[in-house]
Amino acid sequence: MNDRLKEGLRSAGFMFVLSLVLGTCVSALSLATAERVRRNASLFLQRAVMEVAGVPVPKDPVAVEAWFRRAVDAEPAGAPARFRVRDPETGAVRAVAFTCQGRGLWGAITAVVGMDPATRTFREIRFLDQNETPGLGARIGEAWFMRQIEGKTGPFVLVPEGTRSTAPTELDAITGATITSAAVRDMLNGLLRDAARETEAAK
Amino acid sequence: MTAKRNWAIFKENLGSQNPVFVQVLGICSTLAVTNVLKNTLVMCLGLVFVTALSNLTLSLLRNWIPSRVRMMVEVLIIACLVIIVDIYLKAFYPEISRQLGPYVGLIITNCIIMGRAEAVALTRPPSAAFVDGLSSGIGYSYVLLLIAVCRELLGSGSVWGVRVLGPDWVNWTIMVMAPGGFFVLAVFIWIVRGWVMRPAQEVKA
Repeated sequence: MNDRLKEGLRSAGFMFVLSLVLGTCVSALSLATAERVRRNASLFLQRAVMEVAGVPVPKDPVAVEAWFRRAVDAEPAGAPARFRVRDPETGAVRAVAFTCQGRGLWGAITAVVGMDPATRTFREIRFLDQNETPGLGARIGEAWFMRQIEGKTGPFVLVPEGTRSTAPTELDAITGATITSAAVRDMLNGLLRDAARETEAAK
Repeated sequence: MTAKRNWAIFKENLGSQNPVFVQVLGICSTLAVTNVLKNTLVMCLGLVFVTALSNLTLSLLRNWIPSRVRMMVEVLIIACLVIIVDIYLKAFYPEISRQLGPYVGLIITNCIIMGRAEAVALTRPPSAAFVDGLSSGIGYSYVLLLIAVCRELLGSGSVWGVRVLGPDWVNWTIMVMAPGGFFVLAVFIWIVRGWVMRPAQEVKA
């Protein structure tokens, strides 16, 4: 066996062993934390649903899970997923929350939007997943932006940031983040279209 | 003797050999993450962890790594450490992980880590390599944190998410965009190299 072949085999063997060791370490860590990661994602969704339904969110994760089990009927089989938030005492539906998805500047934006079943007006919106530009598009996560749809009916058009519009069909955009703002507008309008289609089908 | 040498390496990487304002490395992430202070801090902690441990691991293995695959080994170890940071954040700091998005994964591409691995970890003993990685990370971090404070303050009127400038303040949108990072970094390098480091350079000459 010549020296070049020996060196090649040694390099390949070293890479194989190193990959095996490092791969095992990363896999072990991933498996060890998988349950925690899944629970974090589930808790984040539950908190978002409670917030858009106007329910005070307890700090304790166990309390959040218990409340969610008691007061929320999830219908994840539907598209979009829907959560009926009931009053734990009376059983009356106090809000309906929908998950929806849009295309932002850098990737998908996923959100939970609350609606009042009686007045068919929007409540707040919470973003579950987004990769927009920090300081620009990512400002959709700011409180004023998420709160501004409360009490509005849509379908929405964008108005410049700072308008603080209270008109039922106007949405303050974010300066420098037109694509992200338009994506949120389209998500909300898409929800309204789906709801109208569903009502039509039910007739 | 070793402690003295390590202390000298530590001081050099914070000052006269600083990776950002002397070697001008790691500029991509300097521009990308410094518009929000919180994200910058987490990114810096991740980088300090990866640089220090990748240097240590590579230095421990340096006598066994075949020279023709050394860069593959470096990338493999760095990537593994970055994935560990990513998994840890997802499991224990999900909010921060969500805010940072893809930036954690991009630590792999930071040229400071590969640079220190090539220049130091493969030639020096573990303690010196570890101190070099740690101090390079800290040298990078304090510059980024200073830049982040300026950009967040001017671009969003806040520091650490807390509103500092009054309601009349008009945000400088350019400060939260990449060009703002260029401006602040350039001004920072100008001040440090022109005013702070110049007297020392003149004395040497």
